[in-house]
Amino acid sequence: MTENGRLAEFEARIRRGEKIEPGDWMPEDYRRQLIRMISQHAHSEIMGMLPEGTWIARAPNLRRKMVLLAKVQDEAGHGQYLYHAAETLGATREEMIEALLSGKAKYSQVFNYPSLSWADMGVIGWFVDGAAILNQTMLARCSYGPYSRAMVRISAEESFHMKQGKEQVILLSQGTAAQVAMVQDAVNRWWWPSMMMFGPHDQESPNSPVLIKWAIKTRTNDELRQDFVNQIAPEVMELGLTLPDPDLHIEKATGNWIHGPIDWDEFWRVVRGDGPCNAERMAARRKAHDDGLWVRQALEAYARREAGVAAA
Amino acid sequence: MTSGDTQWPRYQVFHQEGPHRPHVNSGTVHAADPEMALQNARDVFVRRPDCVSLWVARAADIQSLTAEELESAGVPEPTDGSLGTYQVFLKKSQVGSHEHAGSVQATSAAGALAAATDEFEKEDVLVWWVVPEALMVRTEPDEIDSLFHPAAGKLYRHPAFYHTVTLMRRLREAEGENK
Repeated sequence: MTENGRLAEFEARIRRGEKIEPGDWMPEDYRRQLIRMISQHAHSEIMGMLPEGTWIARAPNLRRKMVLLAKVQDEAGHGQYLYHAAETLGATREEMIEALLSGKAKYSQVFNYPSLSWADMGVIGWFVDGAAILNQTMLARCSYGPYSRAMVRISAEESFHMKQGKEQVILLSQGTAAQVAMVQDAVNRWWWPSMMMFGPHDQESPNSPVLIKWAIKTRTNDELRQDFVNQIAPEVMELGLTLPDPDLHIEKATGNWIHGPIDWDEFWRVVRGDGPCNAERMAARRKAHDDGLWVRQALEAYARREAGVAAA
Repeated sequence: MTSGDTQWPRYQVFHQEGPHRPHVNSGTVHAADPEMALQNARDVFVRRPDCVSLWVARAADIQSLTAEELESAGVPEPTDGSLGTYQVFLKKSQVGSHEHAGSVQATSAAGALAAATDEFEKEDVLVWWVVPEALMVRTEPDEIDSLFHPAAGKLYRHPAFYHTVTLMRRLREAEGENK
């Protein structure tokens, strides 16, 4: 079959709603875009452990500590599901880890902000995981089978992340004056970084058209962001809290909550490595990688011994 | 330290959610041997109280046949070999994963695929997998407690543990009474 014929057949499969599986023919650009997206997503899960990890030892009680520990452990597991999904496309773990550690690969900008108080653990769960779930629910319908299946699993597990966070925000918002002030401060700091998680506006998102044509993504950045505002804004207000957006208002005709302008200069600054915690996060990641060297060496020694035993 | 591509073989993992449920494909892990594969599979895929058994098989030991291949090339020709048991897994929907369907006796993987397409419902099946029984590794009954019991008490890993809907409703009711 000619290259064009194959492409036409591939696109017909996508239109029929079929899943593309690892051994199937796919355009090189489909493979490249998926590896880029899935590995970035995996890196985000791994880097996403850092802002919360720092609060595990300072959790206010045993219940909250177990919950936070479980959430951070899930994120490590989600990173694994995703690295495996990328490997089905021919990417190797070493290439991907190397790209992360060298700073070549990107991860979600939101993890380059500091977590300053315990209330951040509530707000991160509600806003950051809430935003991630919207994105992942969309990706669960992705045309690439292994990515879609990883997303189904991850979305199901992350609804616990979101709900444990929201529960804390609700309780803190009904607590003492100091607790209310603490949670309002956390909301103020995490709102815009969470809104930016969906990425640039549609007209400025160069990859979007091809990603949508091949059903890697099935909805646009702005559509998902609109769902996010509609979900969160009214409930934050019901709690007596405010969002740091003076332009936020409900549009009568559509029922949509319309937000004010997003500071894209800040977004690109953080993406390019100059956010409040980029250097700290990368240093923590590299240290964890170096500290884990003995584990990798022990595993390799075990593998060599097993191979030797098998050969003998 | 990077020493080139040191990736170990990829293993397909199958988990079982309850005693009378089929084993379902959960994804893959890399490992040096099946024992490490089972351990990694436990750590990666079983953090919640809904697993009673895990199976692993090297991805390279799984023979697959797609509905498309069956249509275009027909049933695979069995080759000679010694008779053995093959486990059969079927993928029946675009969004679903492979599920264990049963086993067949055959003298080769091709023969096992031919037998599988014959013995199991052909309709709805998108992909057949067969794995030689001798190459499947399973969690042993005496390991089950130590592998899966620790997850059993962790109900806080489920979203239903958090009563956010009730909390919001109570808040709205209290608001209503104050008005």
